[in-house]
Amino acid sequence: MSQVLERKGSRKAPLTPWKKSKKQEVFPGVKSLNGRWGLLFVAPFLLMFLIFGLAPVIYSVYISFFHWDPLGGSEFTGLRNFSLLLQDSDFWLAIRNTFSIWALSTFPQMFMAIGLAVILRNSRLKAKSFFRTILLVPNITSVIAITIVFGQLFGRDFGIINGILSLFGVGHHIDFVEGVVPSHIAIATMITWRWIGYNTLIFLASMLAIPDELFESAAVDGATKWQQFRFVTLPQLKNTITFVLIVGTIGGLQVFAEPQQLAADGGSSKQFLTLTLFLYNQAFVNNKYGYAAAIGIMITFIVLIISVINFFITRKISNDGTR
Amino acid sequence: MRKSWKAKSGLAIVAAVAISTGVLTTPAKAADPVTITIWTFGDVIQRNLVAEYKALHPEVTLSIKKSDLDPLNGTNMVTACTSRTGPDIVAVEVSYSGYWRSYPKCFQDLRQMKTSDANVSAGIAAGISATDIKKDYLAWRWEQGVAYDDSVIGIPTDVGGLEVAYRVDLFKKAGLPTERNAVAKLWPTWDAFIATGKKYMTKLSAADKKAGKGFIDNTGTIYAAIMNQGTEKYYRNDGTDTGKLIYDTNPQVTKAWNTTIKATETGIGTRIGQYTSDWNIGMNKGTFATILAPAWMMDYIKAQAPDTAGKWDIANLPVSGGNQGGTQLTIPSYAKNKQAAYDFLTWYLAPEQELKVFKTYGLFPAASATYKDPALLNFKDPFFNNAPVGQIYANGVTKLKPIFEGKLQRAIDQAIGAGLGRVAAKKMDAKKSWAQVLTDLKKVVNN
Repeated sequence: MSQVLERKGSRKAPLTPWKKSKKQEVFPGVKSLNGRWGLLFVAPFLLMFLIFGLAPVIYSVYISFFHWDPLGGSEFTGLRNFSLLLQDSDFWLAIRNTFSIWALSTFPQMFMAIGLAVILRNSRLKAKSFFRTILLVPNITSVIAITIVFGQLFGRDFGIINGILSLFGVGHHIDFVEGVVPSHIAIATMITWRWIGYNTLIFLASMLAIPDELFESAAVDGATKWQQFRFVTLPQLKNTITFVLIVGTIGGLQVFAEPQQLAADGGSSKQFLTLTLFLYNQAFVNNKYGYAAAIGIMITFIVLIISVINFFITRKISNDGTR
Repeated sequence: MRKSWKAKSGLAIVAAVAISTGVLTTPAKAADPVTITIWTFGDVIQRNLVAEYKALHPEVTLSIKKSDLDPLNGTNMVTACTSRTGPDIVAVEVSYSGYWRSYPKCFQDLRQMKTSDANVSAGIAAGISATDIKKDYLAWRWEQGVAYDDSVIGIPTDVGGLEVAYRVDLFKKAGLPTERNAVAKLWPTWDAFIATGKKYMTKLSAADKKAGKGFIDNTGTIYAAIMNQGTEKYYRNDGTDTGKLIYDTNPQVTKAWNTTIKATETGIGTRIGQYTSDWNIGMNKGTFATILAPAWMMDYIKAQAPDTAGKWDIANLPVSGGNQGGTQLTIPSYAKNKQAAYDFLTWYLAPEQELKVFKTYGLFPAASATYKDPALLNFKDPFFNNAPVGQIYANGVTKLKPIFEGKLQRAIDQAIGAGLGRVAAKKMDAKKSWAQVLTDLKKVVNN
């Protein structure tokens, strides 16, 4: 980790250090024989990307300007889909829900993941590999199975959570489907449960990369365990936190299966209709493919905006790191 | 598979000639191996019937791919039809039949197909088209497989039917009659059904009420039941292909909405959603005394609440019969083995086979030819207190009328369902919620 930081710090570090011996070219790598071979090597990926990545994107941009029916006639409508979308209250509701679920699933999860990583880093912990392995089990469980189990936890009448709450004298049963905040919490819990192990391992890996000397000298200076964590571990995790945040945001904007399993239409007042579920339902329930494509493009724009914000934050953090 | 076709094309030609020249003379013994691919969901294609067909036709391989209903009848079929590929047979559920009726070009018109002599020994004569077998099926149910241009795109496998499954022990406890005919007499109308529910609720103890017990599992199910008892839903058959949208003016919609709201506001329902874990548990615990149950749900109840065996019974639905669900089998227009697929389909959906499916799996036959069969009429189910379920469901489904279905039916059903849910969850009053339904539907129709 620290090596990466150093390289990022020096601005003239070449992107391809293994090509240092090559002569300077106008288009480095392309005109040379090496470059042609290189193209051949990337061709499989490039072809796949063009067919399965770029082409669908361009196609969906194209159909977003149509009243599109894949089986019948389609009609060019210009920007109508977009103007309707901006006036559609469901769209704004979906944005609200998506970000609410994202926030509820990302931040508590990060704190818990860091906490778990600290526990797992403890040198006195027994059966480390066992714990590290089982942390990933939720991640490889199918979402459908998760929602069935969580359905039993969150059931309004016979759910375990409401059962426990009533033991503590809470007479009112929480409806984890109809309520806005409760439903978001239920979905966020499912996401957290699924991804926390993965993020813990990432945090753990970058914690293990922190040299022991730092902790030793901190201990010599009389730092408590908490101070060691606060002033040694946490600053070293900055880049990892950014990484986890970015990945979490991209995942968070694509939350689909969990709310769909809770109720396919996103709830009776669309209280947990997320952006991707909105897109899916417009395309495959209401058969509005052009409209759905427009939603997809709007999601892309939202991801772009967030990526730009992330980029600036990351740059700021890494600059701070070299100071 | 294709290669083997080519390799034996000589034989195929011989077979084709044999079929075209002397249909009724000798069975085409030059049986080429053929694979029929079937896309289906749930229990539509039954394993032991498949085995039976395999014994009849060793040369036929049935390759069955099961998916969830929504991707199957949605994305998968749309993709298959746009890319001009696809399986030989697809199962289409009735909630999607309104949509697929609008795209006859995706399906083989079964009026144009003729059975070969492959199944003569099994009682299926050669040269039979869909027009010839129409009379064997429920008229209104048959219509759900007829496209806008009158081509026959699907033949029904089963009909849901809809009757009231009730708990005899709980009815007894509440001082209500328990014998199924007397129970049915409690509710000649939906209002009477709600009144019975009210009566039941007054007999519940305070503790029961606190535990969330109710008369019916979910009052929202009443809506669809009433809609299917009418002659029109969201479309009027005005002679055009697409029909005219009448969801905002059809008095049947208003009636179904108002009655459901009344049931909800009376508080006779538990508000438990069907097919949730709460529902499964409630079924065991006697949280609700009635469920509006299609025939195929009987198997679900047996599986989820085996300990309640004998405590259930089946009584007639208020007013006159009902339906929820059902499936038809279709042959896509881009299928590769249409003839083999059609031969299988006519055998599999023949009244005889549908009866077998009913007896083992509870899927109720859409072939009305079976309704006079003593095997069906005398069929009693011990789990449901020996109710003559065959007779009860047969009576119910024959009372329904054909309904013109349109492309947006599912979306409209979903929007109205959400509206009823909002009232049940006390998020909105009925008036506001209906206004919201109209706003939502305006978007569905216009956007």
